[in-house]
Amino acid sequence: MKVILESKVRKKPTIPIEAEAIIPRNFLKGTDLVVYEGNKERTLSELFWIFVEGTAVSPENIEVVLKGDTSRIKRVGEYMDTGSILISGDIGMHCGNFMSGGTIEILGNADAWLGREMRGGTILCRGNAGHYCATGYRGEKKGMLGGKVEVFGNTGDFCAEYLAGGEVHVHGSTGDFPGIEMRGGQLTIEGDATRPCANMKGGTCVILGKVHEMLPTFERIDRIVLPETKITADVYKGDVANRGKGSLMVKCPGPA
Amino acid sequence: MIVNDVVCPFCGCLCDDLELEVKGDRVVRVQNGCSLAEATFMNDTRLPAPIRRTTTGWKEIPYDEAIKETADILKDADRPLLYGWSSTHGEAQSVGVHIAELMGAVIDNTSTVCHGPSILAIQEVGHPGCTLGQVKNRADVVIYWGCNPVEAHPRHMSRYTTYATGFFVPDAQRDRTVIVVDTRRNNSSDIADEFVQIEPGGDYAVLSALRAIVRGKDSVIPKKVAGIEKEQLIRVAEICTKAKFGAIFFGLGLTMSRGKYKNVRNAIELTDELNRHTKFVISPMRGHGNVYGSNEVFTWMTGYPFAVDFARGIAFYNPGETTAVDILRRGECDAALIVASDPGANFPRIAAAHLAKIPTVVIDPHVNATTSLSRIHIPCTAAGIDAAGTAYRMDGVPIRLKKVIERGYPDDAEILKKIYDRLNGSKGP
Repeated sequence: MKVILESKVRKKPTIPIEAEAIIPRNFLKGTDLVVYEGNKERTLSELFWIFVEGTAVSPENIEVVLKGDTSRIKRVGEYMDTGSILISGDIGMHCGNFMSGGTIEILGNADAWLGREMRGGTILCRGNAGHYCATGYRGEKKGMLGGKVEVFGNTGDFCAEYLAGGEVHVHGSTGDFPGIEMRGGQLTIEGDATRPCANMKGGTCVILGKVHEMLPTFERIDRIVLPETKITADVYKGDVANRGKGSLMVKCPGPA
Repeated sequence: MIVNDVVCPFCGCLCDDLELEVKGDRVVRVQNGCSLAEATFMNDTRLPAPIRRTTTGWKEIPYDEAIKETADILKDADRPLLYGWSSTHGEAQSVGVHIAELMGAVIDNTSTVCHGPSILAIQEVGHPGCTLGQVKNRADVVIYWGCNPVEAHPRHMSRYTTYATGFFVPDAQRDRTVIVVDTRRNNSSDIADEFVQIEPGGDYAVLSALRAIVRGKDSVIPKKVAGIEKEQLIRVAEICTKAKFGAIFFGLGLTMSRGKYKNVRNAIELTDELNRHTKFVISPMRGHGNVYGSNEVFTWMTGYPFAVDFARGIAFYNPGETTAVDILRRGECDAALIVASDPGANFPRIAAAHLAKIPTVVIDPHVNATTSLSRIHIPCTAAGIDAAGTAYRMDGVPIRLKKVIERGYPDDAEILKKIYDRLNGSKGP
């Protein structure tokens, strides 16, 4: 079953919409769902043109497609556990919060907190992602725990903060402090990164681009050839400001 | 008339030993206060009545009309923002939270542009702090990091640190070692025993390096970190570990420079590390007189210290999303009520520009830059001058502000209660 939600033109287009109801499972029972525009409760049909194609008996067979101006819609895919969501443009904050299964594909850019505290499933972002991509909520000791977030563009600051499990792959560059407070999982950055893995306690981070302002508390311990890419990388242990059990691999600037 | 033991409401020090001479409805002399206190009490110029913007300028309107119009603006809004609160008393702040809850508004205070990052860091790793009295009586090492107390908190050094005689520090100037860490020399660094000059944006790296040195990992540290020689870092670490009682005070140089709350977190973790060797504490140098109080009031009423979003009827908090600057920058809010602060003077241009676009009401004793962005300005009492109330000092100690003169203005809590009653059908908070 395919559910197409096309955003309607709004009188106040900059007021955010909170739409945690938009997950495939909820459309099994119909499209009579509630979302919020600012401090007002709205039905889904007040804000979207809704088209339903086909039927489904289980949520894994449901695909939700979002079209139009969706850049101010927050919390799409929150607690999603199965099925798929395709977003043809940009998406607002907190897309895929606490997601445990299924797939979200964003053809445009994603705003901040993409895949916050994700447990499983896959998020593909074809554009750029904002700050705090694949992180945790304020004050949480563990951010993303499982699943995969793949960003084909760049991300903002604090990407993969408190990463504790799962995989984050950024094809472009990240902003300041990627992998800060990391304690598990795998972070791969194909582009450049600034001050990576500050205060990391565990996990592995691979940077194939340039590192700006490497922190002074990382100890170079080895030089290896990465098995997947055959690229030579320096291996650092850190952050020694704490117990320093994390592993940071940075592509060597020159020949090995 | 002479009034003794007056509390200055200007900065987070809330000095409570001022002596004022009052003639009629004016303060004519300030004794014991710094230059900031003197200006606070003596340059107290206010609007005579509420004003409303017209197509040709401003027009005076009665209080009741201004209150009714403010209530109507809030009632019509889909995402109202209530911002400020840090220069008034807790009584007004609590009515503000009630209005926010009733209207499904976002309520934020000036922490969002000062020590909000300190709060985020404290939420991550806790706060090894103490009262200023403890520092005064015990601290033999004092570090000022990213702040300039001589100019921003002029009596901090004389009441609590460098020049203050303490119970266990009888000869303050000889017994206390003062370290100043900053990106440039200033009046505070000139009187420090040790000045550590960091390259701009290098605070995080220096704090990490100090943590590593205190942990005995100095072999990892390169010869220079953010412009500081390794020898100086080792010397500073040694001064700290050998202290009997150390205190770090930090300002916006740490909270509002690159890295923000992670800088503060790193400073707190350095303090934790130093506590393996000796007693060390850390405290923010709060700016507005009652900004700490706004955090307290918001927290006990909503569970969160600032940036609280009631759009869904329950409190939600996420700085970066629900903070005033971010909401204004994204053009989210469609009405604003600004109380006891001046975002027009210190917010980014894009945020201030949005305030000018939407109906904005200011409740503040003084005309300020936000007035020129607003639709209505309602003058009121100034907490600590012509209104009594509760304020919190920068170390979390509540202090009662005195009413020293009567100028005939309504209290801002009273104005806010009337707005609340209009919105709630006169049922009261």
